[in-house]
Amino acid sequence: MNEEARDVPLLRIESVERKYPDGNVTALENVNLSINVGEYVAIMGPSGSGKSTLLNILGTLDRPTSGEVYFRGEPLGAMKDTDRIRALQIGFIFQSFLLLPTLSAVQNVQVPMFEGPLPAAERQRKALELLELVSMQHRAKHRPNHLSVGERQRVAIARSLANDPTLILADEPTGNLDSHTGEAILNLFDRLHRQRGLTLIVVTHSNDVAERAERVIRISDGKVIEDRRVHPDTVSVESS
Amino acid sequence: MWFITFVLINLRHRLARTMLTAGGIAVAIATAVVLLGVSHDFEQSALDSLSSGGVEILVIQEGVLDQLSSDLDASLADRIRAIPGVSGVSPGLLELIDYSKNSNSEDRNVISVLVQGWEPGTFLMDELKFIEGGPYASDDKKVALLGKTISQSIDKHVGDTVIIQREKFKVVGVYQSYNVFENGAITVPLKQLQEVMFRENSATGFSVRLDHAAMGDATNEEICREINAILNDEGNSYGVVAMPTQEYISNSVYLKTAHAMAWLTSLIAVAVGSFGMLNTMLMSVIERIREISILRAIGWRRGRIVRMIMGECVFISLIGALSGSVIAVVFTWWLSTLPAASGFIRGTVALDVLGIGLALAIGVALVGGAYPAYQASRLQPAEGLSHE
Repeated sequence: MNEEARDVPLLRIESVERKYPDGNVTALENVNLSINVGEYVAIMGPSGSGKSTLLNILGTLDRPTSGEVYFRGEPLGAMKDTDRIRALQIGFIFQSFLLLPTLSAVQNVQVPMFEGPLPAAERQRKALELLELVSMQHRAKHRPNHLSVGERQRVAIARSLANDPTLILADEPTGNLDSHTGEAILNLFDRLHRQRGLTLIVVTHSNDVAERAERVIRISDGKVIEDRRVHPDTVSVESS
Repeated sequence: MWFITFVLINLRHRLARTMLTAGGIAVAIATAVVLLGVSHDFEQSALDSLSSGGVEILVIQEGVLDQLSSDLDASLADRIRAIPGVSGVSPGLLELIDYSKNSNSEDRNVISVLVQGWEPGTFLMDELKFIEGGPYASDDKKVALLGKTISQSIDKHVGDTVIIQREKFKVVGVYQSYNVFENGAITVPLKQLQEVMFRENSATGFSVRLDHAAMGDATNEEICREINAILNDEGNSYGVVAMPTQEYISNSVYLKTAHAMAWLTSLIAVAVGSFGMLNTMLMSVIERIREISILRAIGWRRGRIVRMIMGECVFISLIGALSGSVIAVVFTWWLSTLPAASGFIRGTVALDVLGIGLALAIGVALVGGAYPAYQASRLQPAEGLSHE
């Protein structure tokens, strides 16, 4: 990536507001953020603070009621097909894994690849490689209900890497795991971040997760109340 | 993994629902194939019947619906023969009678049988393959030939007698024709049928063969016009209409009605099948909101969701089409073995009718799957992911 491209933030959101018509709830209010390529960001906050809504908006799963989200400088609101960005540039990891129960581990990993350029044989080969990356190659033919929760999350991580995304969004990735398994998953995140230069945005309650991130954003009542770099500098809060 | 594999896994996972929906479609397709097949059979048999022996033109009474309703002077045959280019004319009398298998006249268990009066030695006889006995001669009295199907149906063979209008006819031959109507018909000498039916010197139609070398530049249509213009001794028109056999079949009101009824009933069956598919797939989409939302969240575009749902519909329909076609073939064969239908149905289903069945099944998939697929593609992943 050239320097000019690196100067453009991977994600930038300006004055984003998200209201839900049911109950007239404001989930996000005047949020401004900029996230650069290769950052490891933890988004923290209490339940109902709006952090998952923010993650959904960053991942193009949801649209803001007002404000704009820019992906590599391009406004998402003006794009007809944000699905393409989600398909090829973003990988999702969920708290409850959300693997398809009818498919084996290796088949689950291949599902996002249907939107990519690889032919069937290549998809199989790459899925096995990704399972090897997360130390799950020996369980490739097992269905999710025959895997432990930790193994399921590893498969979900492999799936999130299927199309070689730039950005991984993880929603409480260790929320359903015991501390030992959670630790292993976080080590895997660290490795992927280091080795692959992935941009990681992790929504979490856990201080253990936040401690591993380079930057922590705290949200409360739909507003960013803190945005600081864990190492070495703290950045200023952009929203009021 | 191929995309198609993914679609098939989805169907296998919901096997009972898949098979029940396919079963509903199979019934619809079987209904359509049987009805359209029988209708097609009628047309093909009629065409075979009229084209046999190289018949290129058929002459019937003007203004009647079909040959059974026609009533013409049999002597017209000689005037038609006189037209240059005409190489043969065979007058025929066609009657539909109630035939009782028992000689007991009180027996009400009767079947409808076609009886055709043909002149001895007519060229139409050349197309018959005799499996028992042989054709009648000009001096034979009260003799009958049986088509293979009617022979089996009423269990009569050479040496037996059949009763037509209370008159006994001795069976002298059993034939096999390549047209189903003739296989289901009793053929007797024209004059004797005229006598028992009280239709002296009457014919219901004339089968005309042409000699194209002798016709010169004249076309079949021109020969038809010449036949239509024949006048009797008083200088009046015979009131006939001559037409190429294919045109006669195409214009047959009975066949058109049969086609229309077959299509109408088939489309109703297909509509019911489509609603079944619509219901099943809509329920499936509602039950799979979370699954579809996962697929959307991990990158599937709307178009791929549509292709997944439509792919499932097409596969269900193909299973239905295949099963329905097998049911239709077996049912049509069984129908042809019934005495009431023998001689009218061949018992086979044409490939193009099976093709129509397949096309209708695909239509069911497209019609029944379109709305559920659209609904599935409209799901908002963020909302669907929280759906339980």
